[in-house]
Amino acid sequence: MRNDLKCKDCFDLLMDYLEDNLESETQKKLDQHFAACPPCLNFLESYRDCSKMAQQLRDQQVEIPKELENRLKTFLREQM
Amino acid sequence: MKTKELGQQQIIQGLKDADTEVIDEFIQQFSRPLFGVILNYTKNPPDAEEILQDTLLRVIRKIDTFRQESDIWPWMKRIAINNSIMWLRKRRSSRGREIQLEEYAPTFSEDGHLHGSVFRWSVDPEDVILNAELASQLYEAIQSLPFEYRVPLVLRDTEGYPIKQIASLLGLKEATAKTRIHRGRLAVRKKLADYLEGRG
Repeated sequence: MRNDLKCKDCFDLLMDYLEDNLESETQKKLDQHFAACPPCLNFLESYRDCSKMAQQLRDQQVEIPKELENRLKTFLREQM
Repeated sequence: MKTKELGQQQIIQGLKDADTEVIDEFIQQFSRPLFGVILNYTKNPPDAEEILQDTLLRVIRKIDTFRQESDIWPWMKRIAINNSIMWLRKRRSSRGREIQLEEYAPTFSEDGHLHGSVFRWSVDPEDVILNAELASQLYEAIQSLPFEYRVPLVLRDTEGYPIKQIASLLGLKEATAKTRIHRGRLAVRKKLADYLEGRG
């Protein structure tokens, strides 16, 4: 399998690569490119990690002022 | 997210019966996590407060439609997300700043090779749980994105929604949703790389 993919091609396909949307042959070509090109691999890892890190923000709790909690209680009681 | 203080069945029944004590407890248990969800979509606390109020009311009004065998938190969160998006789409008449690819993409030579070096990434994604400063940098980086990019990115990366569903929720073509997620990720990556590089 001849691999004529350039860094720019891999960058353009990055999102589809991570979403597993590519034909298996193209996916393999990107695998090969990343394995042989440290700058592209660095870029891929940082891009993928940011996406994974955003997942860690799921269901984070935030403080809410007591007055807001009281306003919500009053509001909902009025609506019932 | 589990209903620890009051059991799920007690909450559901109490909301159905309009039991004020249960409603107070429901607010105490769920307003903070729901507020956290809503703040991912709107940066403005007064807007978020209004959406939270409306979300809690919708949850109570729709409680009869909830399938009791499932966990109530994902159901409530979905209502909060849909409500945030609906609210924002209604209020947003003008578009935010477009993110240009060139701002955050690496540079390439004419023959398509990556130009220069790429900052060596040394962060484990799990670090964001342990490192409050990193978590705060990430949160700020996401929050600083224009609405058009922030919302699809949060739906995809934070909540794990499929692209098709994101496109449908936001009234976008799938290709547009993908482009916005990609550009949002590039911007977040650049901001975090700048922070990490500066930290040395």
